[in-house]
Amino acid sequence: MTEPIISVTDLGIHFRRNKARRRSFKDLFAGSARRSRPGEFWAFRNLSFDVAPGEAIGVVGRNGQGKSTLLKLVAGVILPDEGRVRVNAGVAPLIEITGGFVSDLSVRDNVYLTAGLHGMTKAEVAARFDEIIAFAEIEDFVDTPYKHLSSGMKVRIAFSVIAQLDEPVILVDEVLAVGDKAFREKCYGRIDELLSAGRTLFFVSHNERDLRRFCSRGIYLDKGKLVLDGPIADVLDRYNADYNNPTP
Amino acid sequence: MSTTTPPRPRRSRAERYRSALWLLTKRDLRVRYSTSALGYFWSILDPLVMSGIYWFVFVVVLDKGGDIGEKPYIVFLIAALLPWMWFTGTISDSTRAFLREAKLVRSTSIPRTIWVARLVLSKGLEFLASIPVLIIFAVIFGAQANWNLVWTYPLAIILQAILVLGLGLIVAPLVVFFRDLERAVKLILRFLFYASPIVYSTLDIPAAIQPWAALNPLTGIFALYRSGLYPEQLMVFPIVMSAVISVLVLGIGLLVFRRYERAVLKEI
Repeated sequence: MTEPIISVTDLGIHFRRNKARRRSFKDLFAGSARRSRPGEFWAFRNLSFDVAPGEAIGVVGRNGQGKSTLLKLVAGVILPDEGRVRVNAGVAPLIEITGGFVSDLSVRDNVYLTAGLHGMTKAEVAARFDEIIAFAEIEDFVDTPYKHLSSGMKVRIAFSVIAQLDEPVILVDEVLAVGDKAFREKCYGRIDELLSAGRTLFFVSHNERDLRRFCSRGIYLDKGKLVLDGPIADVLDRYNADYNNPTP
Repeated sequence: MSTTTPPRPRRSRAERYRSALWLLTKRDLRVRYSTSALGYFWSILDPLVMSGIYWFVFVVVLDKGGDIGEKPYIVFLIAALLPWMWFTGTISDSTRAFLREAKLVRSTSIPRTIWVARLVLSKGLEFLASIPVLIIFAVIFGAQANWNLVWTYPLAIILQAILVLGLGLIVAPLVVFFRDLERAVKLILRFLFYASPIVYSTLDIPAAIQPWAALNPLTGIFALYRSGLYPEQLMVFPIVMSAVISVLVLGIGLLVFRRYERAVLKEI
C-alpha cells in the first residue's frame, strides 16, 4: 500500500447553532474554549480515513451533514477542533472560487494574484496564462476590470485558474452547478483529464450521475458520523435506502 | 491542455509566506493607486495638512513656537506625524482585516497572519515613500541631522513594525466577535494621538509623569525617529521601554491570534 496522500484522523469540528449571538466581553477572559458551550453542535466527530494517490472520492450526505465542511478542512481553509487532517501534497480547491478576485483590478492582474496565492510563481503563471484565458474563453477581456465581466465569465475565469494549478489533489464543491451547459461539460472534461493524469479527487455533489461518473469510492456522512466508506455504488445504494429518494 | 506537465515542485513554507505576503501587499498598493488619480500625493497630503494645522495653532495662534517641541517645529511635527500615519492606518485597517477579505480568506489556505502582516507592510511602504517629505522640510527649515540617524531611524522602523504587527494580531481576530471593538479602536487611536509625543515632546511633560509616559511604546519610538534631527530626544529609558513593550505586544498578539484563529475562520 502506498503512502496515503490525505490522512484524516479522529477529525471533529463544532459550530455555533446561533450565529447571531454575540459573545460578551466576559467570554474573552473565560477559561477553556475547548468545552462545548450550549448552542454549539458537532458537525461531525471521530472521522478517520485515508486516501491513496489517484483515488476519486465522492462525499455523500444530506444537506447540513458537513460535506462542504469536510472539504474545507482538507483544503485547510478552516481548522479542526479535534483530530487532524494531513495532506501530503498541494491542493487545488474549487471552493468559493471567485473569492480571490478583486473587482477593481484587470482580469490579468487577478489571474496572477489568485494563482500566486495558491502557490504558483510568476513564471509559472506566465507560462500558463494563455491557456487559462483560452479555457475561460475570455480572450477579449484580459485587460477589462474584473467587475465589468458577466457573472458567467467570472466563474469561468475563476475555474480556469484553479483547474490550471496542476496540484496533485483537486477538491470540487458543487461549483460546477453554475455556468452554462457547454462550459459545465468543458469543466467535466477537464476533471476527467486530470483524473486520468493520476490526480486525486475529492468531490461533493448531490448529483448521483456525476458522482458515479467521476468517483470510485464514496464517503457517506450522516448525523455527525461516517456511516459508510466503500465503493461509490454501495455508498449511493445505502444513501438511497436510508433516505429513499431514488433518482431517475 | 497540458496534462502531461509534472506536478510543480513544492516551495518551502517561508517562501510561500513571503510570496503570498508580497502579492497581497502589491495588490493593496495597486488597488489604492490605480483607483485614484493623485495616488501617492494623497498619502502625504494627510500628514502635511495635519502638520500645517498644528503649526498654525501652536506657532501662529498661541505663539508657543519657542516652548513646545523643538525648533524648527514644523519638522519636529512631521518627523512624528509620518510614522503616526503608519501606526493609525494599520491599526484601523486591521479592524477590517478579516471582514473585508472574508471571501478571499475562505478560499485560500495561506497562513492567516498574512492578513495582518500585509497591512503592516503596505502601510509601512507608504511610510517609507513619504520620508522624502521629511527630508525636504528638514533641508528647507535647516534642521541639523546628526550621525545617530544611521542607526536610530532604522531601529525606530523595526520597533514600530513589531509593535504594529503585534497590535494588529490582537485587534484583527477580536473584532470578528466583538464588532463594537471597531469603534473602540477608533476612539483609542484618537486618544493615543494626544497621549503620544507628536505635537509635543516627551521633555515638555512634567518630570514626575515622564516615567509613566514611557509605558506608551510610541513615546520611545517617536523619540528614536526624532533623535537623528534633535539629539536631546535620544532618551534611553523610554526607548528601552518601547523595545521591551513592543516585543511583549507581539508575543501577546501571536498568542491571541493563535487562540482565536479557528473560531475566526468559522465565523466569517
